[in-house]
Amino acid sequence: MSENLSSKIKGGKKNTSEINKSGLPDSYDETKVVLLPRDPVWIYVYWDISSHTKNEFLKKYKDVFDPSSISVRVYDVTDVAFNGSNANRYFDVKVNSNALSWYINVGEFNRSWCVDLGYVLKNGDFVTISRSNSMAMPKHGVSNVTDEQWALLQIEFEKLLKISGAGGLGKSSYDLVKLMRERWEEITKLPTSGVLGGASSSLVRKKETVETETVKSKEKTFWLKADTEIIVYGATEPDATLTVQGKNVPLAQDGSFTLRFYLPDGEQNYPIEAISSCGTMSRRITFNVKKETK
Amino acid sequence: MEPKGYWCLQLHAHLPYVRHPEYPDFLEEDWLYEAISETYLPLLSVFENFINDGVDFRLTMTITPSLANMLADPLLQSRYYERLNSHIELAEKELWRTRSLPEFQPAAQMYERHFKECKRLWEKYDGNILRGFKELQDVGKIEIITCCATHGFLSLMDNEKSQKAQIKIACDDYERHFGRRPRGIWLAECAYNPGIDKLLKEEGIRFFFLEAHGILYGTPRPKYGVFAPVYCPSGVAAFSRDMETAHQVWSAESGYPGDPDYREFYRDLGYDLEYEYVKPYLHSDGERRNIGLKYHRITGKVALNEKQPYNPEWAKSKAAEHAGNFLHNRIKQVEYLSDVLGKQPLVVSMYDAELFGHWWFEGPDFINFLFRKMHYDQDVIKPMTPIEYLDKFPVNQVLTPAASSWGDKGYYEVWLNTSNDYIYRHLHKAADRMVELANQFPESSGILEKALNQAARELLLAQSSDWAFIMTTGTMVEYAEKRTRDHIVNFTNIYNQIKGNCIDGGYIEDLESRNNIFPEINYRVYK
Repeated sequence: MSENLSSKIKGGKKNTSEINKSGLPDSYDETKVVLLPRDPVWIYVYWDISSHTKNEFLKKYKDVFDPSSISVRVYDVTDVAFNGSNANRYFDVKVNSNALSWYINVGEFNRSWCVDLGYVLKNGDFVTISRSNSMAMPKHGVSNVTDEQWALLQIEFEKLLKISGAGGLGKSSYDLVKLMRERWEEITKLPTSGVLGGASSSLVRKKETVETETVKSKEKTFWLKADTEIIVYGATEPDATLTVQGKNVPLAQDGSFTLRFYLPDGEQNYPIEAISSCGTMSRRITFNVKKETK
Repeated sequence: MEPKGYWCLQLHAHLPYVRHPEYPDFLEEDWLYEAISETYLPLLSVFENFINDGVDFRLTMTITPSLANMLADPLLQSRYYERLNSHIELAEKELWRTRSLPEFQPAAQMYERHFKECKRLWEKYDGNILRGFKELQDVGKIEIITCCATHGFLSLMDNEKSQKAQIKIACDDYERHFGRRPRGIWLAECAYNPGIDKLLKEEGIRFFFLEAHGILYGTPRPKYGVFAPVYCPSGVAAFSRDMETAHQVWSAESGYPGDPDYREFYRDLGYDLEYEYVKPYLHSDGERRNIGLKYHRITGKVALNEKQPYNPEWAKSKAAEHAGNFLHNRIKQVEYLSDVLGKQPLVVSMYDAELFGHWWFEGPDFINFLFRKMHYDQDVIKPMTPIEYLDKFPVNQVLTPAASSWGDKGYYEVWLNTSNDYIYRHLHKAADRMVELANQFPESSGILEKALNQAARELLLAQSSDWAFIMTTGTMVEYAEKRTRDHIVNFTNIYNQIKGNCIDGGYIEDLESRNNIFPEINYRVYK
């Protein structure tokens, strides 16, 4: 897998958007708080406070105002049209003074929530800066409600849940990436007996690699591996047609070519033929190579 | 004879919109090129052969709008074709290099055939393979469904208009490629919360897919669990996932793709051979990377250099064996379920399409054997599309599904955690601004209209759930962060230019030519 990105973006021209790319702003200088559900019990809350809002609070609360003392008040607004004072209950979460967002565990399934972002004054009072959207959390667990027309016995329903795979969670693209990564990590953790990469790999080496007896002994205290390859290279007119062993070989722009083969034991012939682009002239060179392993 | 039950295969084909004309050579475009050679064309080839051989088959397939826009793009088409030809050149060289390496020669022969078959299909459709899939849909064998326009994660958008735009733009774009409105949709990451079905209804969508607990935790209780679709209160049908078939393919321990005979993904020619030999097939920076020719099999839990040579014949017969096993299990499953439920069950199996071919190289063979066996060897279970099911069984339970996704842990955490949560304030702000612009300029023409449309494209591209996903998985994070940032910055610049009445025509046109997704977009959908 290609992991390293820094070298990928290349080729002369600069991306024009980089000219004015200074990252993203920390603030849009507006006052708002937004609640997003992460799962049935965790909410994510982010906020922004404009300088105007800060000044207003400072003007209003003067000496008791502490801009660094921020809390999130979490209201349970299940089945209520929330007006600020009719929540089922609420709790406060003190956040770091420089935080711009917070994850909160609401501690209870299947409820609806709304939050106020507020300053905690030096006298302990909570004053609301902004109110979020209300959010019904993702439902957790099987519903108690049954539809008469589609009812079934509890025992049958439990059986159905089991065969439907309830409790087991889904597998998706993310699991695929995890799975592939785990496989990669597993592979890389295994002991290797040589360096991988380059032409030294078994891909270009035959199985009958010559091994001395010592290699096969269990101690593996001393060993030797050796094998051979042959490189055939040369050049002709760039527009000529070149064949080696009867196979067409593409030429580089300057008419050169390089080929590399595994060289097995025995005698090998490498006939090389170039035919001019007009088809009237040809040149031929043949190498006979004999390899013998002792 | 009536079968005992039905099987619905849903393949989700998706890639984020990656297109960089400003560079001659761009690494992340490989995602598309690899998927074309390894997944989309091999699947198309398998399906075409079904037709030629008279094998009746059915499947449902998302081709997401961002993928469809890339597949229809002339620049990406020509870049792919160039790359395919270079792979063919390499495959031919490989035939020759391996001529005295009997353990590697069969794989080399397989690659030569593989790439030449890709070329044949590619040329048959003049480089636009969407046409191939459209033909299969037109003869009623596959149901192509759409997805959120740029795979935007609807449940984490706080502005209903930006959710609507993701759906409406997708449906309009679908018509451009497939000649009719889509009947089904795959919500990006299966992310659903009650209410989204209403937006689907407005676009005439008849069905979508859900994770199992979306139905199981629905209200009221689902009488048939995940083995029959339900209607949402809006009347749109939801089909949910069977976990047994999910695990048979996905499980790390017992899943099919990990079989020792299958091709090893991580052992690649790009790292194995002499540098000068592979260099012409690497990116222009010359760094060794995967090329896509792999000569080893998984072998077992061994180090990379102890992987054994890949034997295409063994792998193929293993794929046939696994297809047989899968079918056997489905038959047992529907026989059992039809007893328990007292009706014909529908088993829905959903997977990322790219699993078949790209990650699991033999996946297309598996699908090939599976549908053939299903067609010839039995009549207990029959493949079916959701539309066919709804036409045959129009009466289904009505319930409100539960908010869910198909991601890790079943909710939104993969797309909302400390690695990526910072993006939402910017995405939300841009969406609010887009709505503001659309309301301020219901009428426009010339460069103003172009600017407004480009603003919508930049917003949509920033919203791709892929960026948040990549930030979580930790690979290629820099690219995902850059894409998010660039599109937000582009959007903000356009917004400021429009608001300041100082539109820079050259700037807009440059963005239009690079980020050219949805050529027919109309920003007024944000009104």
